[in-house]
Amino acid sequence: MFLTDAPLVERRQVARDMWVLGFAAPDIAASVKAGQFVNIGMRPGPLLRRPFSVYRAGDDRIEVLLKAVGVGTAQMLAMREGDVASCLGPLGRGFDLTLSAKTVSLVSGGLGVAPMPLAARDARAAGLQVTWVHGARTADELCSETEGDEVILATDDGSAGFAGTVVAAAPDADLVLACGPNRMLAAAAQRWPQAQVAVETYMGCGTGVCLGCAVPLTRGGYDRACTEGPVYVASDVDWPALPSHLSYAVSA
Amino acid sequence: MTPDLSVEVGGLKLRGPVLAASGTFGYGTEVPLLERRALAGMVSKGIFLKPRAGTAPSRIVETPSGMLNAIGLQGPGVDALIRDYAPKWEAWDFPVLVNINGESASEYGEVAARLDGVPGVAGFEINISCPNVEQGGMYFGNDPRAAAAVTEAVRRRTKLPVWVKLTPMVSDIGVIARAVEGAGADALSAVNTFVGMSMDLHAYQPRLSFRTGGLSGPAIRPLAVHLAHQAARAVDIPVVGVGGIMRAEDALEFLVAGCRAVQVGTATFVNPNAIADVHDGIAEFMARKGFASLDELPRYLPRD
Repeated sequence: MFLTDAPLVERRQVARDMWVLGFAAPDIAASVKAGQFVNIGMRPGPLLRRPFSVYRAGDDRIEVLLKAVGVGTAQMLAMREGDVASCLGPLGRGFDLTLSAKTVSLVSGGLGVAPMPLAARDARAAGLQVTWVHGARTADELCSETEGDEVILATDDGSAGFAGTVVAAAPDADLVLACGPNRMLAAAAQRWPQAQVAVETYMGCGTGVCLGCAVPLTRGGYDRACTEGPVYVASDVDWPALPSHLSYAVSA
Repeated sequence: MTPDLSVEVGGLKLRGPVLAASGTFGYGTEVPLLERRALAGMVSKGIFLKPRAGTAPSRIVETPSGMLNAIGLQGPGVDALIRDYAPKWEAWDFPVLVNINGESASEYGEVAARLDGVPGVAGFEINISCPNVEQGGMYFGNDPRAAAAVTEAVRRRTKLPVWVKLTPMVSDIGVIARAVEGAGADALSAVNTFVGMSMDLHAYQPRLSFRTGGLSGPAIRPLAVHLAHQAARAVDIPVVGVGGIMRAEDALEFLVAGCRAVQVGTATFVNPNAIADVHDGIAEFMARKGFASLDELPRYLPRD
């Protein structure tokens, strides 16, 4: 885990209202694994840091994906090249790609695409055939950057690709990794109980101390999205008890 | 010249005036980036006799210059604390106070008795101020007789230092402070979080599942400085100031207001090294002002 003041080095748009920001953070870039996140703070800015899955990493930089949904993200989008944000990470437990498998489906809805480029990188390194499955409400909300040996797109309104949910559009595979609104992940859990899913929660510290990011478990009790998660085996999460916060949620 | 920042608080000799506040430092094993040389002591996450699951999510929400939390004192219970954490604490070079809780005065006493004499446990902070439990917590803290009864129940079961963490949700904190001082408390921690609420304008209901939560962070600092000051004027035992300290200047406000030491809480969520930054800033201030020790720092504590 590293704490570093990271200058903004890159910004590009990848969908309507959706942006990739790149930060120079060599230690985090060299150690982050797919599904892990960074907690980013701004001074001056909101009190708490904001958690972001690492989208890509390499060449001494990390990238994160965001939409302006609140004060913190709006402030990040207003950063200019060279402006500094405080990055804490890598945090959390990422995807497990050591399981024996030949094929993997990376299934994402909306901003849930955030951990998938890194997942594609790590899956390829593990010798897996990668199917990229990405959905959004409409064509212009689909992330324009894709990875993998096969790409399947889906939209709720049928304006591009498969007309319907990303869970319905996805093929089966030896491994399924999913990220998106919790309602989408609950649907993924029904179809693939063994899928590895990265959940969304409000988060305080990101390091396991505050217990704010409680994830309800099917075996009872809670654990911490920031520490035991954010990646869970889908059937381990008590989905009806896990709120979905994202106002930009795509339907599941 | 390096100023001497050591203090004695309620039966404990501390190497500095900055402690980690309960609920913001876990059991001391979860904040890897803190330079621990600066940590004067730690108050553990609040513990009950039995394990507690805590409240359903959502548990936290950010508010202007602060955050609301309703964790509900999630914890493993006293037996697991003795087994899993106390052995680690024994090896550390700063004291650990255990924040103890109960649904009745006798449960508080029972928790203290179980922990008394366990190597690694240096003392207790009685939590009569948690706003996020259905039974006990804050309800003991806003009645002077109940507050005194809980303090006595713990005092009878241990010779270790006993601190009492006060709630701000009272009309006169001095009344509660005097009641627990009379019941045998060695020091006071002032204050716990303020009860607050935030509404979700999509769902038309509270954003926290517990409906209300405890407000912490810079938003409460002036309120906390005032209440810590009021408590310090009411009693002869030391007061440990807590509430929204982010920087050394904030901690110094509490010290000048009459506190012997401070606890840093929410700041650690934002800056894992906040405690060391606050400690170092106090040392720098003392050196710049020419104070050799914290005893020389002027206090504003009129006794009228």
